[in-house]
Amino acid sequence: MNETALLSLTIFLPTLGAFALLFFEKKAVEGMRVFSLVVTAITFALTLAMWKQFDPSVAGMQMQTSLVWIAGWNINYQLGVDGISLPLVLLTSLVSMLAMVASWSITKQVRGYLMLFLLLETGMLGVFLALDFFLFYVFWEVMLLPMYFLIGVWGGPRREYAAIKFFLYTLVGGVLMLIAMLMFYFGSAQSTATGESIFDLLTLMEIAEVGGFDRTMQITAFILLFIGFAIKLPSFPFHTWLPDAHVEAPTPISMILAGVLLKMGGYGIIRIAMPLCPYGTQYAAYVLVALGVFNIIYGAFAAMAQTDFKRLVAYSSVSHMGYVLVGLAVWKISEASGATVGREYWVLGVNGAMFQMLGHGISSAGMFFMVGVVYDRVHHRDLNKFGGLMQRMPHYSGLAMVIFFAGLGLPGLCGFIGEIAVVLSAWSFSPLLAIIAASGVILTAGYILWTIQRVYLGPEYKGPHAEELTPINGREASVAYVLAVMAIVLGVYPELMFGLMRTSIDTLTISLADGYDAVRVIGDQVGAVLSP
Amino acid sequence: MCGETAVKPRFTHMPLEQYIYTGTVLKWLLGLAWLLPLVGFAIEIFGGAWGKRLDPVAGGRKLRLAGYLAVFCIGTGFLLSLTALVVWKGGTGVALMPTAEAVSHGDHAAPDGGEHGSDDHAVDHGEHAGHDGSGDKPQQATEGDARGQSPAAEAHGHGEADAHQEGGGHEAHANDPYAAAFSGTYYELARFGNLRLTIDYYIDGLTVLMFCMVTLIATCIHIFAIGYMSDELTEDYEDHFVHLSGGRHFHRPGRFYRFFAFMSLFCFSMLGLVIAGNIFQVFVFWELVGICSYLLIGFYVERHSASTAANKAFIMNRVGDFGFLIGLMILWTYFGTFQFANVSPAGSPDAANGPGLFQMVRDSRGDLQVEETADEQVVMLQGSGSADDTSSPRSIPYWLLVAAGVGIFGGCIGKSAQFPLQPWLPDAMEGPTPVSALVHSATMVAAGVYLAGRFYPMFTPEVLLVIAYVGCITLFIGATIAIVATDIKRVLAYSTISQLGYMMLALGVGGWAAGIYHLITHAFFKSLMFLCSGSVIHGCHHEQEMTRMGGLYKKMPITCGAMLVGVVAISGLAFWIPLAGLTGLSGFYSKDAIVASSLAFMAGNPNHFLLFLVPLVTAGITAFYMFRLWFMTFAGQPRDQHVYDHAHESPRVMTTPLIILSVFAVGCAWFGVLENWILTSEPAHVAAGLTSAYHVLLTMPSHHAIHAMHHTAGTAALIAAVTGALLSAVFYWKGLVDPESVRKPFAGVHHFLVEKWEFDNLYDVMFVRPVHVVASWCTAFDKYVLDGILHLLSRLTVATSAWDRKFDETVVDGLVNLLGNTTYGVGRSLQVVQTGRLRQYVMFIVVGVLGLFVLLIMFFPRA
Amino acid sequence: MEGVGINGYLGVGAVLFVCGVVCMATKRNGIGVLMGVELVLNGANVNFVAFSRFGHLGLDGQVAALFVIVMAAAEAAVALAIVLSFYNNHLTVDVDRADELRG
Repeated sequence: MNETALLSLTIFLPTLGAFALLFFEKKAVEGMRVFSLVVTAITFALTLAMWKQFDPSVAGMQMQTSLVWIAGWNINYQLGVDGISLPLVLLTSLVSMLAMVASWSITKQVRGYLMLFLLLETGMLGVFLALDFFLFYVFWEVMLLPMYFLIGVWGGPRREYAAIKFFLYTLVGGVLMLIAMLMFYFGSAQSTATGESIFDLLTLMEIAEVGGFDRTMQITAFILLFIGFAIKLPSFPFHTWLPDAHVEAPTPISMILAGVLLKMGGYGIIRIAMPLCPYGTQYAAYVLVALGVFNIIYGAFAAMAQTDFKRLVAYSSVSHMGYVLVGLAVWKISEASGATVGREYWVLGVNGAMFQMLGHGISSAGMFFMVGVVYDRVHHRDLNKFGGLMQRMPHYSGLAMVIFFAGLGLPGLCGFIGEIAVVLSAWSFSPLLAIIAASGVILTAGYILWTIQRVYLGPEYKGPHAEELTPINGREASVAYVLAVMAIVLGVYPELMFGLMRTSIDTLTISLADGYDAVRVIGDQVGAVLSP
Repeated sequence: MCGETAVKPRFTHMPLEQYIYTGTVLKWLLGLAWLLPLVGFAIEIFGGAWGKRLDPVAGGRKLRLAGYLAVFCIGTGFLLSLTALVVWKGGTGVALMPTAEAVSHGDHAAPDGGEHGSDDHAVDHGEHAGHDGSGDKPQQATEGDARGQSPAAEAHGHGEADAHQEGGGHEAHANDPYAAAFSGTYYELARFGNLRLTIDYYIDGLTVLMFCMVTLIATCIHIFAIGYMSDELTEDYEDHFVHLSGGRHFHRPGRFYRFFAFMSLFCFSMLGLVIAGNIFQVFVFWELVGICSYLLIGFYVERHSASTAANKAFIMNRVGDFGFLIGLMILWTYFGTFQFANVSPAGSPDAANGPGLFQMVRDSRGDLQVEETADEQVVMLQGSGSADDTSSPRSIPYWLLVAAGVGIFGGCIGKSAQFPLQPWLPDAMEGPTPVSALVHSATMVAAGVYLAGRFYPMFTPEVLLVIAYVGCITLFIGATIAIVATDIKRVLAYSTISQLGYMMLALGVGGWAAGIYHLITHAFFKSLMFLCSGSVIHGCHHEQEMTRMGGLYKKMPITCGAMLVGVVAISGLAFWIPLAGLTGLSGFYSKDAIVASSLAFMAGNPNHFLLFLVPLVTAGITAFYMFRLWFMTFAGQPRDQHVYDHAHESPRVMTTPLIILSVFAVGCAWFGVLENWILTSEPAHVAAGLTSAYHVLLTMPSHHAIHAMHHTAGTAALIAAVTGALLSAVFYWKGLVDPESVRKPFAGVHHFLVEKWEFDNLYDVMFVRPVHVVASWCTAFDKYVLDGILHLLSRLTVATSAWDRKFDETVVDGLVNLLGNTTYGVGRSLQVVQTGRLRQYVMFIVVGVLGLFVLLIMFFPRA
Repeated sequence: MEGVGINGYLGVGAVLFVCGVVCMATKRNGIGVLMGVELVLNGANVNFVAFSRFGHLGLDGQVAALFVIVMAAAEAAVALAIVLSFYNNHLTVDVDRADELRG
């Protein structure tokens, strides 16, 4: 297959599928479901094909497509994939497919649900593959709307509240991003060869690498972008949409939300905020790491106090995504010379952060799915009214424990690698923060084990609808098995993903260091000129 | 000698091909022994789940296939380990058996010949000879042997000299632990530039020894468990300890297969920990061991106490792991590697990976290179990084090395149930007894001691002092609580804590070999005692309270005898046997070595006298409570006739392992083999002792110093043990003094001990509740502050929009409407003109035109 | 000899125009009003032709006059049709009765 068309096809296949759903008879619910599943499966297969064509030893973008979209404003339809986006694309298509399998439990207005679901997948893939800032923004917003409806229509009792909260938060983030985008657009004119303003991310990165954006602009833009992405990540204090959205969203949407949408925050930071503002990143590095560490601890504490199963998992996401923030920002420079110190540890941190995103994508999607399985049966999520599921649903409980242990960060499962890589990288940045981050392991163990004890262990089930607790069926088991196997595979063979990311991340850190140096040198020269 | 030719001289005695060949064989032998249980686990867990549906066995009885499979896996592992031992010994040419002359030499008789540290010197000489590659050294060694006098004498001569001039030539008989070691990589998890996360192996005498010990004991326990867990074979298991809401007992299908699956997984984790070639890998398997213990302790998932104990065990271990993690971070940042030591000779594929931690922190003589910089002391790292690796730092601040050591030891504290993280271990007795035997006596808790021993070169004297004091406190706490415990398993649990304290103490006071020695001997007799207690519990139908037992020696003689072996061994008693002299069971020798080490340490550091007195006194307490256990259980009259009547000896499948373990508990320390074996891996700097003056003034005793104290210490320990045993007999066997009468005056103390020194309550108040409080604060913060702000904002927005609406409706709309209305009114008033009469319109036009003309003429008169 | 000057033509045109207007304003008969209209138009025509001859309009004035004549014819046709229709409805051609456009 022509590799340039591959990316476009991957992105828009779900949209085509969504429109094809219109031709189904209204009553053919099962047919529509199967059809949507096939569409997501083909999309997954396409991303696998992308993986096969991908050359991990090449640092730059591969399989690029570039078409003029709006010539007057230099907006291009530009796609490409590198070692940072490919793993996330794979994760997206995988989680989407699994969430589609989990969507059999949706019985209300199935056609609309499936269409929105597929549109959502297009938006998500687009965000990860777009190389034009404007296109990125468009996909970012495209993804928002289906999500709003999916929560707002198919959600739980407080769905309107949750949906509007989610929508507003994300929109605010989007607006901040828009401002930053325009800053770069108009700021780029003086640096491009033709003197035109551009949205092309790759060119903007090159400009940033040679110090084309001054300090003030970088810092301002970084703050704007960071807040925009931190809302999605989510990071304290912008995280309160997450528990509500998760609690109210239907199970498959929770899976997508935790498995993919949160990753967009991290992806945005590493793909846009950092390369475009190397100076801003370094300027804010300590705050970022401190914020990440705070997230780890805060999320873990908050999770411990929850009585709603889904809220607990949601807060655990806050805690886990804190590691991402820490890993990305452990960029230490020498105070005296401004040179990057111990870049290997930073590379380790960024790798760890990326891996943490993948691992969390698997484990949190799994956890939400596991919660969903019992919720579908007994229709409540009160942790204090469970117990004894190990007796009633042993097969399910065994799988659930594997996935929860993955969330706990047990070696051999996916959560461990990212966490340990991030924590190990942190000491060289700041011993104090590293110690606090490491203490998260105790709290994490605390809330997860306590949850397992309350839900799965014990002699008998304490809540209502005990008779509904039937063993999981084949469909549910297949989702759980895929996630559990993925958790183990990533845990014992992390090279699978590290191998993809290595070159890209290495290059990224070098270019960031150069970008910071360039701005610092320019700034010093200006200072030298002004001072006498 | 070694000092000058530090590069890699030791392999000159072994051709490279032979080294690589031996290393590869060992790697796969032990690797296989390590991975077999994992395979077993996978088959058991899936086979158990699926087999249940397929199992056609009538009457609901299930097969014991899972048990057999698990035994097969671990048993094969044991055979492989034995093979590995042979290969290792053959490949490296290490002599484990002391020579006949050495045996006959010594204050004590044959068995403790090894303790003199004599034979290891013989070994050393042989090795050093090899290093030099010259012929005279081996001659010297043979001469030494041939003289009919132990070469130890000669070595001690050196030692004496060393005692006076520290560091001056003590390398002469320093052990070279890398000489018989093999290292390499199985599998690379990830690589970031020069930083590698790998699954390595590091195989030396200690590794092989631990493999043999773990697999042997695990095999025995597995076999025992087939019998012990046989009541799980039913489809309808009634659990008498769980009461449902209706007052009924809890019923569930048996979980035979699951038990063995977890046991196999546990063995896999433990062996992975032992074979680990880097500290990161240790951490990985450390956690896996933790989770296995979680699964096994919480095996009776329906019992709330069991799941709570499992949580407690895991979380307390995680607290230790927090320290471990900090240690890892420091090492990683300053060393850039996790590997213990890279002993691959030049030319082998792994040699390029650079030196390991031990080689970096210590020079070939085992000394730290401390240098004073402007504001702090730094430890210079040896050969850190190859020429192309300039990024890795060359030194580490001294205090950070101490911090790293304490951090790593923090992990050991958690896993080995040392003060202050000891309370999880007694609770862990909630698991089935074979689990207690496997997890909590011989293997998992041993992991902490093993790691402390393995990581010994990284510990500075300050860290060792911490280790010594932690061990000292722990052994005292454990022993005192054991005096008042009445649950048979809990007594053993506390005794485990206490014995682990001994091991840590030994490591801390410089008795490296003594600590490891006790680790091995303790593993045998403690697993033996746990299995005996399991046999008792099984025979008494799950009665664990010693206050309801008594007189069981008639009912279960084999168990009774085996238990007596264990009790005598742990108490460190010895007997005068005419031909052999004073002979003890295994525990006697190892405990002797520990007490001697601590006495030697006290001699060098008089202000740390507690480190000798406490273990000495505790040796007496140990004998007291262990004999108390035995007397209460087996001797005297039955206290509960019902229990007694139903008691029976266990089947052969359970007693056979008892007998095997008894043999080892009795004799594993004899003939000095074990001691020699251990000493092959002793870190280079231990033998000579050393004086530290960096931060605290400490003198670590040398082998010679320890040996000099041996006689005194041994006598003192023996006296203490005999006293304890006699006292116990007075109280609990002969009943000469009623324990109650002693208890009364000390009711407060007794309560304090029964409450386990109030640790649980203290931790509950100090940690558990505050954590929950903070957690609820966090939630409240989210709910009231963050969401509050958000809701406030949204309300403000709504209020603003209400104002906006009002403005729109009154002002903006008002203006527009006014305009409209005015226009409308004007139109209305002009309506009357519109008469519809044609002629009138014409008149209007005419008049209008005329008017226009008039105006035109008036205003624009023709010029 | 001097022919008739422009003033003569303009005078005739003006008389015709005024007659027409007076006719429109005074006649109640619809046909009469139409006649007045014709007079007005023809008064204008005379002016056009006169300017064509004496002014700078050239042939344009005569073309305009022709246009007016054609228009007058068309207008007469339409107006007569309206009157006829009005008559059919009201049985009269009195324009004072046709006040349905009253506001």
